[in-house]
Amino acid sequence: MATLGTSLLLATFVVASYAFAASVAGGRRRSRRLVESGVGAFYLTAALMTVASGIIVHAFVTGDFAIKYVQHYSDSAQPLAYKFASYWGGLDGSIMFWVFLLSVFGTIAVSTNRERHRELIPYVVATIAATEMFFIFIMVVNNDQFDTFLTQVPADGKGLNPLLQNFYMAIHPPSLYTGFVAMTIPYAFGIAALVTGHLDDSWLRAVRRWTMIGWLFLTFGLTLGMLWAYEELGWGGFWGWDPVENAGLLPWFTATAFLHSVMVQERRGMLRVWNVTLVIVTFFLTIFGTFMTRSGVVQSVHAFGEDRWLMTLFSIFMVVILTFSFGLVIYRLPLLKSRHELDSWVSREAAFLANNWILLFSAFFVLFATMFPTLTEAITGERLTVGPPFFNKWMLPIGLILLVLTGVAPLLAWRKSTVSNLVQSFTWPISATLVTGATVYALGIRVWASGICFALCAFVTVTILQEFIRGAEVRKGATGTDIFTAMIGLVGRSRRRYGGYIVHLGIVLMFLGFAGQGYKQDEQLLLKPGQQSTVAGFTIHHNALTVTSDDQKQMITGQVTVSRGGKTLGEMAPAKWFFNKHEQEPTSEVAIRRGPGEDLYIVLAGYDVQTQTATYAVTINPLINWIWLGFGVLAFGTGLALLPESAFAFATLKVPGGAVTTGLVLLLVLLPGVARAQGTGQTVSPVQRSELRREMEGQLMCMCGCRAPMNNCPMGPSCHGLQEQQPKLEAYIAQGMNREQIKAAFVQEYGEQVLLEPPNRGFNRLAWLFPYLMGAAGAAVIAVVAWRWSRKEEQPAPGAATPQTPATADDAKMRERLNDELRDLD
Amino acid sequence: MSAKTLKIGTTFLVLGLAFAGLMYSTLSEGTEYYKHVDEVMTNPAQWEGKRLQLHGFVVDKSILRRPDTMDYKFQVQSNGKVIPVRYSGVVPDTFKDGAEVVLKGRLGPDGFTVDPNGVMAKCPSKYNPDAPTGKAGS
Repeated sequence: MATLGTSLLLATFVVASYAFAASVAGGRRRSRRLVESGVGAFYLTAALMTVASGIIVHAFVTGDFAIKYVQHYSDSAQPLAYKFASYWGGLDGSIMFWVFLLSVFGTIAVSTNRERHRELIPYVVATIAATEMFFIFIMVVNNDQFDTFLTQVPADGKGLNPLLQNFYMAIHPPSLYTGFVAMTIPYAFGIAALVTGHLDDSWLRAVRRWTMIGWLFLTFGLTLGMLWAYEELGWGGFWGWDPVENAGLLPWFTATAFLHSVMVQERRGMLRVWNVTLVIVTFFLTIFGTFMTRSGVVQSVHAFGEDRWLMTLFSIFMVVILTFSFGLVIYRLPLLKSRHELDSWVSREAAFLANNWILLFSAFFVLFATMFPTLTEAITGERLTVGPPFFNKWMLPIGLILLVLTGVAPLLAWRKSTVSNLVQSFTWPISATLVTGATVYALGIRVWASGICFALCAFVTVTILQEFIRGAEVRKGATGTDIFTAMIGLVGRSRRRYGGYIVHLGIVLMFLGFAGQGYKQDEQLLLKPGQQSTVAGFTIHHNALTVTSDDQKQMITGQVTVSRGGKTLGEMAPAKWFFNKHEQEPTSEVAIRRGPGEDLYIVLAGYDVQTQTATYAVTINPLINWIWLGFGVLAFGTGLALLPESAFAFATLKVPGGAVTTGLVLLLVLLPGVARAQGTGQTVSPVQRSELRREMEGQLMCMCGCRAPMNNCPMGPSCHGLQEQQPKLEAYIAQGMNREQIKAAFVQEYGEQVLLEPPNRGFNRLAWLFPYLMGAAGAAVIAVVAWRWSRKEEQPAPGAATPQTPATADDAKMRERLNDELRDLD
Repeated sequence: MSAKTLKIGTTFLVLGLAFAGLMYSTLSEGTEYYKHVDEVMTNPAQWEGKRLQLHGFVVDKSILRRPDTMDYKFQVQSNGKVIPVRYSGVVPDTFKDGAEVVLKGRLGPDGFTVDPNGVMAKCPSKYNPDAPTGKAGS
């Protein structure tokens, strides 16, 4: 299997090279057949990568420890879900996952834009294929995921790093990669437009959507990273300006800038060089971010190890990207002339310009500060570092200015705002700001940054509300409906605009959460059993320390009762888990009591089993949940903006519906709330589970819908299914029932489906089937492509004629869509 | 040169200078020297009072903890040079004998004082423990 994997990688490299060469040649010679074959080869890379991914996932699921990578990052006891996550858990796998995503995205992008941007396609294919080639080259020469042990095959794996065995960590990297990879598509279109000289604004349309998708995933990935840091790392915060975090933030800044400035180009024909530059820079930063985290050029707690060879390869690649892209930009400068000039500084385009400058400045500031230790070492030989306080000092005012602009820009008119419309637009928002500011001051809040932030949040919120209400009023007048129907119609009419406002609302909520950090309190308590102490009104009572274990780990848990003002709020159980084979790296299981106002966050920082003494690090995190909620709102807004141009197109599934994305994302946002509510009071009782109970939990399915056995429910101990079933099981065992009786009792209540016979049923079977399905799907695509090729070879005539018809049909559709979009811009 | 270019040029210059100035002033407060124990100990007087990130290894059996408190005393070494360290607060899970640590704090005449939460221990196995580092190697 491993040999097959390696040869598949080699094959992908060859096919990608062919796709590159055929596309470039086809594009230059205007040979339709060459271009077609290039596109076919390009699709084939996606199929090949899918099969290769299927193989590695298969190896993980079956525990093929002959493959080094599998042995490093998984073991047989690992829950199935994390075996999947192991795919991208290490360096080699993450690169392969990258190529896999890129090939799939490229295929989607090319197939959806094939007719619309026919002249661009060859170069789009070539650019993406070249990027794929680079990454596969790295894999083939250096980081082959399919490397096997030559001599002795270990019996079991080392297991995935316990810190990575977390719900968020399983989905955080793919999300971030998805965002990174999606940014390659705009770049490819940008390069294609530059090469062909088709620099009218049509290429932006394809690019905008992909940037939005990439941006959404990037934001999602960053948010998940914050959640992971918050829940798993146990230092009470969520963002530490670590190089790895910064790597994800850099392209986020430039992508955000692009999404704003692209509006100026569409609307006013300005900033054309700027937009191309932003697309290039965003792509460059994704590669740079990968470089930074993979090659060890900056030191970080969670960067991958150091690797000079990788460093060199990446450096060459980055230099090539920069020279080539900017060379093209300079070459095409005459075609990129602005059609208009800035009329006034009090205009929306000026506000967007300011927003762009600030975002770009943020990107370069973060880049500079992240690279500062490396830079100083290279220049002076002394390694100087800058810490989070330095970042905060700069990013705080920058963030506040951006927040102001978020509110101001929508109020300004395009071209030039007159005094009367300024007065009209700003009256309400400014009054709201002043009122909030005064209230905050009166309440005795004295952290200036947070106070200003609260006032600005009010400003932006009122601005957005005002925009909604005004628009709805106008529409109400025009259509004669009630205000709510008008509002829905309004949003449906210009999804991009109002979706954008909703995104802003999400950002405001996130800023609320950030502002709350100004009031963070932490305290360290050393408590003997029976002792208690008070932090910010919460009384923490230490009851006992318990030691328990299960198949995978040993757990030391502090039993804490929390009360406030004499009223008991509940039990909390911060713990330390010692995973087998990783005993030296215990993980802190944080207990969090969530609330809209504040989180009570308790970490078991130290313990002494003999004396039952525990050290708790207690943090009060005000308003932090608004960040996660803000992301939900933001995702909803982006989904709305992403909805296809006409609602009917959505019904025919022409474009992957934004609704699906939103639904999925919202689901994912909601899930963790349920899945990780372990801190909310009801925690698992640390009672040793009896042999019978453990066995039964392995054979009965959790009925929450996860289709997993009770002891492996991905929702964790707070699952509603488990909470219902576990007491029943306990009760049956207490009644002295035997296995068959218990099973019968459960079947009577839940039906046959509650019985689960691992490993070949239910969830497990699905998982076992998954790689084969992936493989089959890949093979099917190969077959189809091969068939189509051979057919085209034989009969070139119909091949040339067929695309004609859909093209004309598309033209009408295209015009309609264009009109629709132009109206949307208002 | 037209008036417009001049205006733009001046704006950029002023903004650029302002940023550079601000950056310089904040940098000098924000920076810390990243040093290994032996580098510091060759000339301790030079480093006294400066903000340091000290890289070293915890000396075996040197960790002392005052009972029922979170006050620690231990020693870090690299290449044979040793510095006594004082710290009060929570230590990371991986802080133990022989651990590779980075300590944030200041050097004084009687040893190194670590800032609150200034102990960072590197994982014994990194994210990518002992991966094949490739043919070119490092």
